[in-house]
Amino acid sequence: MKPAAFDYVVPRTVPEAVAALGDAGRKAQVLAGGQSLILEMHLQRIRPELVVDINRIAGLDRLSVEGDTLRVGALVRHSVFESAQSAPGPLGALFARAVVNIAHPPIRSRGTMVGSFAWAHPASEWCAIGTALDADIEVHGLEGKRVVAARDYFHGPYRTARRPQELITAVRFPLLGDDTGVGFIEHRRTHFCFAQVAVAAALTVRDGVIGEARIGLVNCADRPLRAGAAERALIGVEVGPPVDGHRLPDGHPFAHAGRIAATQDAAPLAEPFADVEYKRHAIAVLVGRTLCQAANDQRSRLAQPKGDHK
Amino acid sequence: MEQWTRREDRRLLTGQGRYVADIAVPDCLDAVFVRSGVGHGTLRAVDCTAARAVPGVVGAWSAADLSELPAVPYTLLARLSNEESVAGREWPALVKDRVRYAGEAVAVVLGEDRYRAEDGAAEVFCHVDPLPAMVTPSAAADDSVRLFDGLSNIAFRGEAGKPVEESVWREAAAVVEGRYRQQLLMPTPMECRTILAVPEGDRLTVWSGHQMPHRLRRELAALLGWSVDRVRVVVPDTGGAFGSKSATFPEFVVVAFLAVKLGRPVRWIEDRLESMLVATRGRGQDQRVRLAADADGRLLGYELTIEADVGAYPHLGVGLPMQTAWLATGPYTTPQAYATVRSVLTNTMLTYPYRGAGRPEATIALERAMDVMARRLGLDPAELRRRNFIPPESFPYRTPTGRCYDSGNYAAALDLALETLEYDGWRAEQARRRTDPGALPLGIGLSCYVERSGGEAGGLHEFGSVEVGEDGTVTARCGAAPSGQGHETVFAALVAGTLGVAEERVRLVEGDTDEQPEGLGSFASRSAQVVGALLQHVSRRLIDEARERAARLWELPVDEVQWSGGIVHAAEDGSAAIGVADLVKVTGPLRVEDRFESGMAFPFGSHAVVAEVDPELGTVRLLRVVTVDDCGVVLNPTIVRGQAFGSAVQGIGQALYEGMTYDDQGVPVLASGLLDYLLPTFTEVPPIEVKDTCTPSPATPLGAKGAGESGCIGTPAAIVNAVADALRIADPDLLQMPLTPDVVWRAARAPKHEEEVR
Ligand SMILES: Cc1cc2nc3c(=O)[nH]c(=O)nc-3n(C[C@H](O)[C@H](O)[C@H](O)COP(=O)(O)OP(=O)(O)OC[C@H]3O[C@@H](n4cnc5c(N)ncnc54)[C@H](O)[C@@H]3O)c2cc1C
Repeated sequence: MKPAAFDYVVPRTVPEAVAALGDAGRKAQVLAGGQSLILEMHLQRIRPELVVDINRIAGLDRLSVEGDTLRVGALVRHSVFESAQSAPGPLGALFARAVVNIAHPPIRSRGTMVGSFAWAHPASEWCAIGTALDADIEVHGLEGKRVVAARDYFHGPYRTARRPQELITAVRFPLLGDDTGVGFIEHRRTHFCFAQVAVAAALTVRDGVIGEARIGLVNCADRPLRAGAAERALIGVEVGPPVDGHRLPDGHPFAHAGRIAATQDAAPLAEPFADVEYKRHAIAVLVGRTLCQAANDQRSRLAQPKGDHK
Repeated sequence: MEQWTRREDRRLLTGQGRYVADIAVPDCLDAVFVRSGVGHGTLRAVDCTAARAVPGVVGAWSAADLSELPAVPYTLLARLSNEESVAGREWPALVKDRVRYAGEAVAVVLGEDRYRAEDGAAEVFCHVDPLPAMVTPSAAADDSVRLFDGLSNIAFRGEAGKPVEESVWREAAAVVEGRYRQQLLMPTPMECRTILAVPEGDRLTVWSGHQMPHRLRRELAALLGWSVDRVRVVVPDTGGAFGSKSATFPEFVVVAFLAVKLGRPVRWIEDRLESMLVATRGRGQDQRVRLAADADGRLLGYELTIEADVGAYPHLGVGLPMQTAWLATGPYTTPQAYATVRSVLTNTMLTYPYRGAGRPEATIALERAMDVMARRLGLDPAELRRRNFIPPESFPYRTPTGRCYDSGNYAAALDLALETLEYDGWRAEQARRRTDPGALPLGIGLSCYVERSGGEAGGLHEFGSVEVGEDGTVTARCGAAPSGQGHETVFAALVAGTLGVAEERVRLVEGDTDEQPEGLGSFASRSAQVVGALLQHVSRRLIDEARERAARLWELPVDEVQWSGGIVHAAEDGSAAIGVADLVKVTGPLRVEDRFESGMAFPFGSHAVVAEVDPELGTVRLLRVVTVDDCGVVLNPTIVRGQAFGSAVQGIGQALYEGMTYDDQGVPVLASGLLDYLLPTFTEVPPIEVKDTCTPSPATPLGAKGAGESGCIGTPAAIVNAVADALRIADPDLLQMPLTPDVVWRAARAPKHEEEVR
């Protein structure tokens, strides 16, 4: 478990980093938090010839609101999002619900959100949230900057639209309005490991009726998914009163949406201790529960005075 | 403020510990092994030429390059293995012609450091033609593919007790059956295996994190063809063992052999991924049970059939399932009992003792069957157990499967567990939830166990000494070898207490065969019980020796000389008195050494668990875990508590999390290490309430029984029983460990058992 030999550079600016990555002679890897890369290098599943450590590039750690988007720089660590105030309104609440599922505190204090987008693990919480919310990924190459929409970005496990010479500088999320409630529920075997299934949901409700639904599916396919069919089934549906208990009535619209997500949207892959049948069932259950959580969140948000983002 | 509760904690918790990997020796080479990527196959070719050309690589060898490399020594310890099992089934240190488990070493590369050696290992060419890989006993038992040509895959058969008469099954009011799988587990010590071999003159010093340094010395000397005094084994700080560090492993053979051959220090520091692939496994039994009772719930007969997965070579694990057979009947009086063992070779890494070693398997089989029986008879599971406990006045108690229990009060432990748990309250809550469709189902599980500590006949003794220096310092030596249990604290206190001197004056020396020429080591929960008794014994003899010397000095009869608090004085008027340090100055070195033998002891306990199940996802949440253990006289409550707690967490691991899957080449799916094989982490540890009762052991002078394995033995069955109780499924065999969410979800969907059968 030792990495093969590699060269190491520490650029101070984005252009320097891009230049290093563009060195055609050597297979290069960006080092951000290192919480995936270093492990893979130890296992020699990744054998870079050059490691480009971006941790000393000033400004990449910036988290900022620009108009109605949140811009997350490439060095913003997972742990920043443990506070629901890190992003305004429901977006911050969604991030805070999701982030505690990413491994343990030491890993969250180093690992980065952008690194998760770069790594594109099918069980990444951030990637599914980005897909559900239509995030944009900013990449810099030798030819300059381009922006890739999340829906076009993920190509499969660990495969993305980013070219090897490109650096991701940020991911941008649209802010969510106060009429939106959010939910995130993860199912996994222990806190340490990746999700067997997790679901992110954002429901925009006006006058008790769902106007927009966004559902992100984590580890429900070879890449993060947005559950489009389930979302469509929710438009125009009345949210109704909160539901008690662990089991939604079969006829409940959220249970219905869960079944649609599991059968039409998801394409789960078998894993040890979770075959496809089990995963589909878990997806249906979790989508239903997460929608309940989002509806409850929206209700409690309504009950709060305007402008209070807590 | 002094925060440390154990002597060794300051060192270990502040990074001052010194482990094998911390020992810097000039010119030391790192060994890296090239390992088979399939579980079973014919080795066609190994070529190390390219590896030898890698910068920093000092040498690379296959078995063919090292014709004089000895095989891995077999140990026929404590009836756990026998000649017949091992005959013709040699375990080569490097594969010669047949790969029998995934990760088996086919070549070794020595480099100036581990990085370079790994670079070299990557260049070794190795070709294996795969054969069908068998990773379960049932796959291998029919001998359609043989691991050793011309020999059966069944390497051992054994039995305990006598066959239960047919009439018992026929006439019993209730007979229940079950099939239970005891999955293979990884011991997972924090520090993996280590060895550093340093040739010095005509001797070899071997540093290793090891439980049995004297055995390692004996076996290494034998394979080098040397006398034992030419080998010194030293055990520095060791980060856990749990049974997995007591052998001379193939890697150890290679390292010692090459160090001698090259005349250069060589070390092997196993990393986590290697350890996960090729460190010994625990458990590995497929069991069938049959239990008969009369209408009042009195047990009439019990039958346990074990098919054990012993891995690729018949090492110590081959007879280990006899531990299960001998303890089959647990804490109950069962007039007729019969346990049979068939140990099957498979293409998995070897099975070996792992914390509990045969006793968890016995307890889980019986205690699961007891719950099924209680349900069948419509009896409360606690009541069924109570009706069958061996009564406290029946000890020593000879079981039908050949054990003789020393002492016990099983009902007391169960009562305390139920009271601590608030059993009746949880039963009421369970009933309430059953009428509330919105509530998550809740179950209560019990598990009562008896285990054995100290070791088997022939291995119940230990060697050691106590010595007083001219400065009054007391040095105690013994053959034990700790891997984190706190011997420095407990044994120093024990010696100090026996001598009546301050603990600070006592120093403990262990784990060095030059310091302590003979010894057995630390395994089978024996250290407190056996080694403690020895140290008390030699301390008492030291007092006698001091009194005799003073008596001679003062020309008094020895019974007129007394010892108190490190001072010898004349009993009559107290006029003559001499401190032991001065006595040493006057009369010369004072040292007593001896061998001391104890009896086997049988610790016991009752564990109780409340679990909540989400039947939709199959997740299990442990709301309460209560462990009541009885290890006789407790020498140090903090340490016993730590043992109980830690082993309970490992028991939770077996019940809920730990398990391996294999690909079709027989390779365990462990590519992402501990993300694939899940251990309970801090977040998964429920509230665990640790309590004890005290029934001293008459078999050992301290009255202490082993305390190290209780949770691994008692907790798993309590958890599984709680989940089964929550789900009320008709076929409890659906719940096979680990109870992962998919397993529990499937069980939750299965038909429920009828309420109130009778
Ligand atoms: C025990 C454990 C459990 C974990 N559990 C989870 C979990 O449940 N959910 C989860 O999502 N993650 C989990 N992770 C992974 C963790 O979240 C990582 O931090 C994350 O996947 C990658 O972020 P990083 O900053 O550490 O990236 P690195 O490890 O530094 O890099 C990962 C990959 O992305 C590339 N990369 C990184 N940043 C950029 C960039 N700006 N531009 C271009 N390429 C880049 C690297 O070159 C590399 O290929 C876990 C990790 C561990 C060790």
